[in-house]
Amino acid sequence: MTVEAQIAQEKPNWRRYFTWNTDHKVIGVQYMVTTFFFFLIGGALAMLIRSELAQPGTDILNGVQYNRFLTNHGSVMIFLWIIPIWAGMGNYFIPLMIGARDMAFPKLNALSFWLIPPAGLIMLASFFVGAAESGWTAYVPLSVAAPFGQTLWAVSVILLGTSSIMGSINFVTTVLTMRAEGMGFWDLPLFVWSMLATALMVLVATPMLTAGLVLIAMDRLVGTLFFNVPAGGDPIFWQNVFWFYSHPAVYIMILPGMGIISEIFPVFSRKPIFGYKAIAFSSLAISILGLTVWAHHMFASGMNPALRVPYMITSMIIAVPTGVKIFSWLGTIWDGKLSFTTPMLFALGFISMFLIGGITGIFLASIPVDLHVHDSYFVVAHLHFVLFGGAVSAVYAGLYYWYPKVTGRMYNEKLGKTHFWLNFLGTNLTYLPMFVAGLLGMPRRVVDYAPEFASYNMLATIGAFLLGISTLPFLYNAIVSWVRGPKAGSNPWRALTLEWQTSSPPPEHNFEDTPVMTRWPYDYGESPLAEPGVAPAAGD
Amino acid sequence: MKERTIFTVIILSLVLITVGYLVATQVDFSWLLPAQASSRAVLVDRLFRVMMGIAAVIFLIVEGALVYAVLRFRRKPGDDREGLPVHGNNTLEIVWTLIPAVIVAVIGIYSYRVLTDVERKPSDPLVVRVIGQQFAWSFEYPDSGVKSSVLHLPVDHPVQFQIESRDVIHSFWVPAFRVKHDATPGQIDELVLTPTEIGTFPVRCAELCGVGHAAMTTEVKVESQEDFQAWIDSGGTLVSSATTAAGSGTDNSAATASAPELLVQFGCGACHSLSAASLAGIVGPALDGIGTWGADRVEGQDAQTYIRNSIVEPNAYVEKGYAPGVMPQDFSTRISQEQLDVLVSYLASQ
Repeated sequence: MTVEAQIAQEKPNWRRYFTWNTDHKVIGVQYMVTTFFFFLIGGALAMLIRSELAQPGTDILNGVQYNRFLTNHGSVMIFLWIIPIWAGMGNYFIPLMIGARDMAFPKLNALSFWLIPPAGLIMLASFFVGAAESGWTAYVPLSVAAPFGQTLWAVSVILLGTSSIMGSINFVTTVLTMRAEGMGFWDLPLFVWSMLATALMVLVATPMLTAGLVLIAMDRLVGTLFFNVPAGGDPIFWQNVFWFYSHPAVYIMILPGMGIISEIFPVFSRKPIFGYKAIAFSSLAISILGLTVWAHHMFASGMNPALRVPYMITSMIIAVPTGVKIFSWLGTIWDGKLSFTTPMLFALGFISMFLIGGITGIFLASIPVDLHVHDSYFVVAHLHFVLFGGAVSAVYAGLYYWYPKVTGRMYNEKLGKTHFWLNFLGTNLTYLPMFVAGLLGMPRRVVDYAPEFASYNMLATIGAFLLGISTLPFLYNAIVSWVRGPKAGSNPWRALTLEWQTSSPPPEHNFEDTPVMTRWPYDYGESPLAEPGVAPAAGD
Repeated sequence: MKERTIFTVIILSLVLITVGYLVATQVDFSWLLPAQASSRAVLVDRLFRVMMGIAAVIFLIVEGALVYAVLRFRRKPGDDREGLPVHGNNTLEIVWTLIPAVIVAVIGIYSYRVLTDVERKPSDPLVVRVIGQQFAWSFEYPDSGVKSSVLHLPVDHPVQFQIESRDVIHSFWVPAFRVKHDATPGQIDELVLTPTEIGTFPVRCAELCGVGHAAMTTEVKVESQEDFQAWIDSGGTLVSSATTAAGSGTDNSAATASAPELLVQFGCGACHSLSAASLAGIVGPALDGIGTWGADRVEGQDAQTYIRNSIVEPNAYVEKGYAPGVMPQDFSTRISQEQLDVLVSYLASQ
């Protein structure tokens, strides 16, 4: 065998990332890279939107273009970025963290991923035939009368929903059946717990949206009358169907991030996670309660007024398990030995910004206040603090934390910290002024606004460009460090979860020996220094 | 040590409660909220203040603990020891589960009370129909038959809106009244409030309704009882001062209202611009000079015919660069022949 052939055999070719491959690690990277590409597209749309809104008047986009951009900004960010990036991280790390060799259904896994590129292309291609322009909420009857791109949008989201459902079936089965010997449910890493809770929500809620989109597509394509008002169709019906999925979708987007935060704090505080069971239970509580709050998006609609109050109550109760998580994280870092690596900074940033999203969520849950701020920029600010300050911070935290595991190389800390600070300042500068504009009366989804809102919008636009710039050090760091970064070794963070107890990147079937759980994943703070938690299986 | 901790907790709690109380009662939030012009606004703002007070306390506790931990528990260089093996603390965990539960219970009960107060049915309200359509609001007063594109309300008199839509979902939002409600096609929804301040306040559409969503704005004029009655008696034609200035001084009966008044009444300015009538819409084609260029749009139609057709059958010819179906197609049923004549001859002279 020639040397080249040997190297080719030992070092799997980069081309495998562009092929049908059933290795969960390859699929995980495929997910992460593809979805980050869509994140950049969604971000470019956001910056076009912010450019238009920098000043009152319509300078750059007309009303039609603006509505198309805002619709696809939201849809791309939600369906092609945040939801599938978690599927990517779950794919890569759940099998490693529970000591499995792969996912339960490797081919289904590959299929879940390969639905995403065509779905993304369909959504973006719709710009050539008149893209969807009725918001990611696609409220009827506006969306039924929209141009042909709306149909493509529905097809794309149906494909993405199907991908998400298949992925979740895989996650649940994998966690339930493929844990390492000796690993009970109370030994699961909290990221795995949060992905399990997320997958259960997806399985209950996503089919509803998919079914609703089929109804819209049928109204548009074959002339059914589900949402045709003169024929007796009911616009409120769509809102119920849509939010039955799309509110849980918020937790689908944030719970995995909370799981990552729970992984990062113990490692960089050198302390056990504070209140492990409380955090695990709060994930389950959020996923169950999260299915019962959807009509708080409809307080100002023509829904039955008497039904609003129960939804207000459930929406507010969600603050309790969320608070448990935040306080438990504070308990974890309290009295610890904190090192401020980039993932730790993003995790701390997550708490400080997600908190603002959470508190303003209580304002929105309170019906009388909501009737003022609903559908205003207050909501835009709130949801971005949750999904950008929260979920995206957690994505970055996870990407930096696991970068050495996936690539075998260490990223550059200086660039990472630059990225964090640009991102942190940019997020607050973009979204804080929006709270004020919304309270003062600026509606969302407008291409133009009254001059009194000009200064808040200018600040938000400057912040948005800061956020755009902040991706540059990240991209440079991620690409260059993959080639030239120093070798990371198998466990640079001295972490105890199983994914760190194998080489970086892990070999094809993850572990040289079948792993057995010997130590709880958060046994930090023991003396002498914590040792890795894997022992070769007996008789192996 | 233990005593010192208890002492610190007590002091911090007192400080935080004071801060929360001051935020809820003393801080000036006028920069954060629009004018307070309805019975709802007073109650909603009070609730908002209380929630801001609570929010300030929670914010300070969490961000304060975070910043303190970051500054205080930084790992010293060369210190490779582990932290303390603390796995939890049942008392602490019960406390930080129960306290938020109590707080949201308080906010929930208070919110419910405010809700029942602001939605209590008044006796003998003024009924106003609010009609949303792409991309203008119109208001009808069933008692007097008056129709208007600007909302006029008498101060301190309860009003009951009946909100509906002619096409897609809109949302009727008056920030100064602190309330919005969707105009949903196929149903008529009720909304009650009492205006409490004389003045002019913006009315906006808060639900994405299509290309002209941002332009779907108008005004509410809260007037004294006398001014409101005079406006009703005039048939609703004493409209905004800008229009009156541009008006041709004809008498005030609705059927022969001047063209600029009709332009306002039918909401043309939501989409079209016309400098002579101070219309500044951006959604549809500008109407300046339509008397000239209107003549060479459709073979065999002079400007008058073209304008008339464009109003009653807007899809017959659509100006380049604009989409069909955006302009309402029901003007033929809403504009009288007389009104149409007035509009056509006025526009043809532009």
